[in-house]
Amino acid sequence: MPPFAGSLLQSQPRSDSNIVTIDVGGQMFQTTKQTLTSAGPKTFFSRISQTDSPFTPFIDRDPEIFSLFLSLLRTGNLPSKAKSFDLHDLIIESRFYGIENLLVNSFSNPSQLEPFNLQKSLQLALNGRDSPSSIATTPYGSLHVSHGSKITTFDWSLRRKSTILTHFTAVDSLFALSPSLAAAGANDFSGLQILDLEKGYVKETLNWENVTKSGSTVQAIGSSPENMFVSFESSRRNSNSIVVYDLNSLRPVTEIGHNEIYGADIDSAIPATKLQWIESHNLLMASGSHSGPSGVSGNIRLWDVRSGEVVWEVSEKVDCFADVTVSDSLSAMFKVGVNSGEVSYMDLKNLGSEKSSWVCLGDKRKVLNGKKEGFGYKIETQGNQVFCSKGGDVELWSEIIMGSSNNRIFKKNLMGRGQDIGGAKITNLAFGGSRMFLTRKDLQCVEVWQSSSREL
Amino acid sequence: MEEESTSHATVESNASDRIKLNVGGKLFETTLSTIRSDGPDSLLYDLSNRSSNDPNPVFIDRDPEIFSVLLSLLRTNHLPSTALRFSKQELADEANFYGIDSHLRAATSPPPFSGIDASIVGTVRPASEGFPSTFTAADNGSVWIAHGGQLSSYDWNLIHSATVRTHLDEIKSICRVWPEIAAVGTSSDAGLHFYNFSGSRHVGSVHWSDPTDPRIFKARVNAITASENSVFASFDCSHRENCILEVDKAKIQIVSQLGRQSGNQAKHMVPMKLTWIQTTGVLVGSAVTGGAFGYSGYIRLWDPRSGEVVWETHEPGASGRSSRFGDSFSAIEVDVEKLLLFKLCSKSGDLAMADMRRLGDDPWVYLKEKNPSLWTDGGDGSISSVVHCYKEQVFVGRGGELEVWSRVQEVIECESERERESDGEGVYRRNFVDKREDSGKGVIKKIEGGGDRLFISREDVEGIEVWESSHSAGAISVL
Repeated sequence: MPPFAGSLLQSQPRSDSNIVTIDVGGQMFQTTKQTLTSAGPKTFFSRISQTDSPFTPFIDRDPEIFSLFLSLLRTGNLPSKAKSFDLHDLIIESRFYGIENLLVNSFSNPSQLEPFNLQKSLQLALNGRDSPSSIATTPYGSLHVSHGSKITTFDWSLRRKSTILTHFTAVDSLFALSPSLAAAGANDFSGLQILDLEKGYVKETLNWENVTKSGSTVQAIGSSPENMFVSFESSRRNSNSIVVYDLNSLRPVTEIGHNEIYGADIDSAIPATKLQWIESHNLLMASGSHSGPSGVSGNIRLWDVRSGEVVWEVSEKVDCFADVTVSDSLSAMFKVGVNSGEVSYMDLKNLGSEKSSWVCLGDKRKVLNGKKEGFGYKIETQGNQVFCSKGGDVELWSEIIMGSSNNRIFKKNLMGRGQDIGGAKITNLAFGGSRMFLTRKDLQCVEVWQSSSREL
Repeated sequence: MEEESTSHATVESNASDRIKLNVGGKLFETTLSTIRSDGPDSLLYDLSNRSSNDPNPVFIDRDPEIFSVLLSLLRTNHLPSTALRFSKQELADEANFYGIDSHLRAATSPPPFSGIDASIVGTVRPASEGFPSTFTAADNGSVWIAHGGQLSSYDWNLIHSATVRTHLDEIKSICRVWPEIAAVGTSSDAGLHFYNFSGSRHVGSVHWSDPTDPRIFKARVNAITASENSVFASFDCSHRENCILEVDKAKIQIVSQLGRQSGNQAKHMVPMKLTWIQTTGVLVGSAVTGGAFGYSGYIRLWDPRSGEVVWETHEPGASGRSSRFGDSFSAIEVDVEKLLLFKLCSKSGDLAMADMRRLGDDPWVYLKEKNPSLWTDGGDGSISSVVHCYKEQVFVGRGGELEVWSRVQEVIECESERERESDGEGVYRRNFVDKREDSGKGVIKKIEGGGDRLFISREDVEGIEVWESSHSAGAISVL
């Protein structure tokens, strides 16, 4: 009896047995039907578990990688011996079996972001001489980077990249619709382009028909689970609006905050340059600022998208924001002041009441600073933390819950080890999967911060 | 992408489709379709036929580790990372043994070359006299380098395969005539010479002579190009009289002579660049010289069958060029696939394009740079520049800087708009291929593409740079 000869098993288990035997590239594997079906319906594994053929199923693939995937199915994690394989090999093989999503889940799940354990670990270099102008991420960590007239896409494993050429001279607003689809707009180019990043063509151009019949430039892009929000300004800069699109069909749904500017009404002349959806309140935060001879002034509005009305709004005259963000889980709005460079917060519960004012978390005297110390600082929130870039560093703000006190306490830490402090000014800050991405001025690369346990 | 995202695995249950192999003592099992995937000429295909009614595994006395890499390649069309344990040469030799080298080549060759996303992957450096005088790249990514009178051949893996010492001292022009035979010429010695890499020997020479004119002797070769059956070479004598000779590739004999001219004016100089256009059967010759009063030169298209000039232009001075007065071209290139002519303006640094199917009085369309930060500051025209077309992209070397003009993909549905913009305006974008620090390495002398690689030689720099595009993200750990 030569080894492996014949496919009929000698000790044929009963057909109702729970045990399944599979021959992969000459090696025998045994497992249970439950394990196989845990890969999900319509995958290759669930099909095997359903066959009642007396023959052992044979798969003409590499047996070593198969054994890793079997462990993944059994335990939900890849065994440590998977480290000796290149992740890209595993991804290709997982696509064959139709279980790439299991790999994504075990490596790049957004719930696995560990803010206190993020360390500067990778640099993704970009070819050519253009520095990144904007970055966008998908929830599971694919990354789109615009640099000059090009957009480079990195897959969720950060192993593969591809680059396309666009019509823009530089992309100012970038939004990831999917790992292979992005919306891009610029301050000097009319229309929002939906770009297929795999084949490199413009799928669609979305335009806002303004009254003056001039072009419409894109100032900001945001999204809710159902909608995409785009802030347009007419090329003549005399009108602006936020258009709401259906996220799936990309058809316009409604238009909010349409402003036509007559005379010297400065406040309505400011288009929104940041749009953020506040899930818990079903509101859209839109903020925009304007630098004039009397300093920087701006406004923050919370929109009810259904009624198209402003629920709450604040005008910023003293220490206007350089950047604003709203944290759902902290139920607070955070800004970094353009003059002070300090972080302030406002409790969402107090909105509309007397108490709604900014609470400065840093040096309060700097609020009246004449300099623009905070110019270009970015603030983003992820989970229970707030990340604020200051020059070349990132501050991490967290709330400390003290049972009795009524005042909220926020404390900051500087991210990174001693060697990571400083560096060129941070120009973009984004989160995707379990990672933080940032770009720096005049550096043609993207920096990746991740926790050591999630290292790919 | 290599694989579709959906699962398309099938369960093979028919035992007769399968085959067991014993490679150096290790057992492998696979399907017939997998090991036959490289066509009936391979060794594996032969083995798969022999064993159909023998229950014992087929024994192959080779290394099992390399075989497992190659088996993965056959199964997935993708080389696993374990292949990094072996050198390119080992893999190529082993794939040759099994007769699956074309499969290996398809998996290891670089992805389509894109100038907007390319980086230096290495330098091909000949062992001695490493300053290349000229070179030529082939479609499979191999390259022939002329350096110090030697001709070195590097295969598609860029591994050195042969070197021939020629009787010439500095080869100025080279052309691939047959897969193993190069035609070479030099400005210091007369004649067109043919060298064969296998056997490393001289196989023939061609000289320009005219029995009626004794002044025609010791004519030197300035440019060479090859068509399917012929080689075209431009010769000039010391008194500047010049012509193009058509030479039969197989017999190495002169077939005809065309474009003979006196050479006493810039527009009658010997062609410094020749390009054969297979699809239309037209030979394009051009010459440019730079002098105290700027650049001057010509472009001429011949029909070699009649020997007549089909179209010509010369700058400065040709009619209909008033819009670009004093901005004559400093370099010329032909896009053979798309039938386009490109010229680089010496003063403004602009690139202009002409459709060869619609050449007229002033066929040039000037490509505009929309990005103000990339505008060239004009310059005095003293920067040496080269132009090369590859894969519908135009590569321009200005001094040490390398830039690319590439076409932006149009909206697919919008047919009419594509028609409107097909004149080139707004469709081409300019980007730098290199990093700022690359440009200091030396003035770019020659650019040539082949096999999805771009080869670049620089003045006073040893070796030839190899640029490739890659899908690998190339993340660098900074922990």
